[in-house]
Amino acid sequence: MGLALAGLVAGCASGVKHSEMAASIPTIKQGEGRIYFLRSASMLGAALQPDIRLNDQVVGESKPGGFFFVDRPAGKYVAATATETEKTLSFGLDAGETKYVRSSPSFGLVVGRIVLELETPEKAKEDLPSLSYTGNALTPQAK
Amino acid sequence: MGRIRLAGVWLALSLFLGACAPSVPISQSKVEISGREAAARRIRLLEPAAIKLDTGYSRTLAQDSVWQSFGRLPQGQVFRPVGTIFTIEGRQVHEAYLVIEEQKLVGFYLPGEENYSPLSTAVPLKFGDIK
Repeated sequence: MGLALAGLVAGCASGVKHSEMAASIPTIKQGEGRIYFLRSASMLGAALQPDIRLNDQVVGESKPGGFFFVDRPAGKYVAATATETEKTLSFGLDAGETKYVRSSPSFGLVVGRIVLELETPEKAKEDLPSLSYTGNALTPQAK
Repeated sequence: MGRIRLAGVWLALSLFLGACAPSVPISQSKVEISGREAAARRIRLLEPAAIKLDTGYSRTLAQDSVWQSFGRLPQGQVFRPVGTIFTIEGRQVHEAYLVIEEQKLVGFYLPGEENYSPLSTAVPLKFGDIK
């Protein structure tokens, strides 16, 4: 029981909260857009923490209570998780645009999986402040 | 024994259903948007519209949702949502813009693939221009 609980706790994102680091998040470079990946803090399906791929490149992990973002040139993108071979998510990204991709556990009749969906900016901005950063260390912006 | 049999049925059903989710129908070739405007036309839906996708999924376009002209396809004028997102779903999930011709939703432009996905049955829309 204790071990299982420890495993669950260890599985949750524990980095800096978005609300604490918002000021240090760099602005988007010209010609690029930003894609946030976020996942609500929930014990449901917490053990499922697959890699997230963007155009077949691993960009991070889906962790409960976590978020990260990547900046990419404007263009066409397909996001998918390693646990999901069929349900990909395709979207366009404009220069200067920010898109939000939510990952969440989904349970079928037999197995659980992590699915991706586009989130509205309104809902994503409500959730982001309480989520922890799970991406790479940010490079300080030149003054 | 009965439980094992039931579990087997569930597994088979799960695999069957997962494998059979139909893909969103798309045009054979990529489509090009023309006539992108700097000062784009905006419309507001005056009534909600229920859409039954050919994949079996459904979507509702909310009353008062605002859509901005994005350009034109041979099939109709393309409108993207303002301040929100819209997706259609089949085997995959696709961001989608509305393609409207003669006050009817005839299909979707998929910006993530530069493709057109037709609706088998056009859906009448009631909307007004935002001045």
